[in-house]
Amino acid sequence: MQLYETLINGLLLGGLYGIIGLGLSINFGTMRLVHLAHGDLIVLAAYFFVAVLVPAGIPPLAAVAVVVPVLFATGWGLQRYVIAGSLGRGVLPPLIVTFGISTVLQNVLLLWATADARTLHSPLASAGVQLAGITVATVRLVDFAVGLACLGVLLLVLGKTALGRALRATSDDPSTARLMGIDPRKMYAAAAAIAAATGGVAGVLLAATSTFYPATGSEMLLVAFEVVVVGGLGSLTGTFIGGVLLATAQLLGARLLGPSYALVAGHLVVLAVLVFRPQGLLPRTAA
Amino acid sequence: MTSVREPANRPAAIVRAAILAALVLGLVAAPVWGGSAARALLIVFSYNAALAVMWNLLAGYAGLVTFGQQVFIGLGGYTLAVGCERFGLGVWPAFLVAAVLAAAIAVPVGAVTFRLKGGYFAVGSWLVAEVFRLVFGNWDFVGNASGMFIRQARAIDPWVVYYVAIGLLIAMVALVVATLRSRLGLALMAVRDAEDAAASLGVHVWRVKLLAFVVASAGTALIAALITVQTPFIQPNSAFSIQWSAAASFMAVVGGLGTVEGPLLGAAVYVLLQHQLGSSGAVHLIVLGAVSVVMMLVEPRGIAGLLRDRLGWSLFAVARRPPASRGDSV
Repeated sequence: MQLYETLINGLLLGGLYGIIGLGLSINFGTMRLVHLAHGDLIVLAAYFFVAVLVPAGIPPLAAVAVVVPVLFATGWGLQRYVIAGSLGRGVLPPLIVTFGISTVLQNVLLLWATADARTLHSPLASAGVQLAGITVATVRLVDFAVGLACLGVLLLVLGKTALGRALRATSDDPSTARLMGIDPRKMYAAAAAIAAATGGVAGVLLAATSTFYPATGSEMLLVAFEVVVVGGLGSLTGTFIGGVLLATAQLLGARLLGPSYALVAGHLVVLAVLVFRPQGLLPRTAA
Repeated sequence: MTSVREPANRPAAIVRAAILAALVLGLVAAPVWGGSAARALLIVFSYNAALAVMWNLLAGYAGLVTFGQQVFIGLGGYTLAVGCERFGLGVWPAFLVAAVLAAAIAVPVGAVTFRLKGGYFAVGSWLVAEVFRLVFGNWDFVGNASGMFIRQARAIDPWVVYYVAIGLLIAMVALVVATLRSRLGLALMAVRDAEDAAASLGVHVWRVKLLAFVVASAGTALIAALITVQTPFIQPNSAFSIQWSAAASFMAVVGGLGTVEGPLLGAAVYVLLQHQLGSSGAVHLIVLGAVSVVMMLVEPRGIAGLLRDRLGWSLFAVARRPPASRGDSV
């Protein structure tokens, strides 16, 4: 019964992890960029939500409608004016640039909001629902549903719309895409904006689900990275499944070894995947 | 393979040797001209510069951009602490054990992380460091999250610490220069610039990368042992912290990646900034982050690149030029 409860909770937490990983996956899928500041964008969204919008008296749901477009714009601007200049010049420049952005964001948050723990105080956090015989936190259920919905929307956008086609074409072959009248720089900015918007959703869910600090950005980046490695680089569905596996590994580790081993258990599972199945569970076959 | 080193240029070689000798002499004679403040500043400069030299060996020459070398900061520091406090080892023998242990652990760490390429290698290495941080934080034998004091280290004369610090820095710069002038250096740079092409010419890519990784990790552990002697305290959250990688990459990038003098210049900037802005953290780190972003976008070759443009000259002769008119080929 307890094991069953752990598995259900792992599945639900996996929804949150999946959406944390989606942004990293989109950035990598379109421009082979490992965006080291993605976790900090998530935490930035969480602070914007909890420390600016909610105290201003904006109801949480309306605040979400502000956070996501603001993050969309932030992602677009960062890509267009900062990160773009580092692409296409080898491995190092985008890493140094995104790591630098991460350092700046994290420490600006530290100066402005201090290192105190924050969270969204809402009735949602303490509520529970009966699900398949056990009680689960309502907020976890919301995380999972929103995560799944975001994945669905992204797959539709990428698979069925003109923008999605253009993005995939740019990802496969930027120079040929350019011959077809697609501007790769605009596509990259669009991808970065969409990725940051998923980070906005992730930030709101993070704020509603747990406490966070400025340094949580690094933790979020590692979660995103792990989810992407387990799921397979560049596969969105794989990213989501990776989220579920990572969360389950952490909760099982906490249950079997003690709470302080949750993160270690997750990390070791990811390293084991690297050793035994380096392509991930659902590798992208083309490009 | 005929080596095509830069054509011998006697006057330049003499000037170079004279400048280097003067710098080394000035450092060795520090007790004559400097007091405890200069000593403290030079110790901090030396270990930061040495750290950047080792990071540059990986990122600048072997193409291994990593954010995980804090694994070996932590291992080096803890080897010293555990060796001295739990096994009654002397401080200096513990340095040797730290280097050997780090080299041994670098092999499996490299075997796992080398499966990742590019940016994912960088983050994967960071993940390995997190595993170490969490394990040491839960391990009673090493004092878990509260860490350990190294009582022996307090008895050491600060000038001895100083000479070890500059000795390590000079030895590491010499090691990198010697490596770059050897066949291994050529192989490393070939792997960095074009891995597949290097492999097709018979360079054993994996072995060359691993060798660089093992050497840099052992070097990093030695530096960590020195830092721990100087502190003399170690704690998992700071020893295995990502801030070490942030500092090393800042120094290498701002000074000039893939140059010998770059990390030294970068370390000077880093230490000066820390001195001016206070080591309290946030403001210092915001400046570091912003400077490295701007530097990477505007002048990716760093200060060393700018100086080379101005002076047409660099302090260490490690560049190779294709033979102009001589008949021999590579």
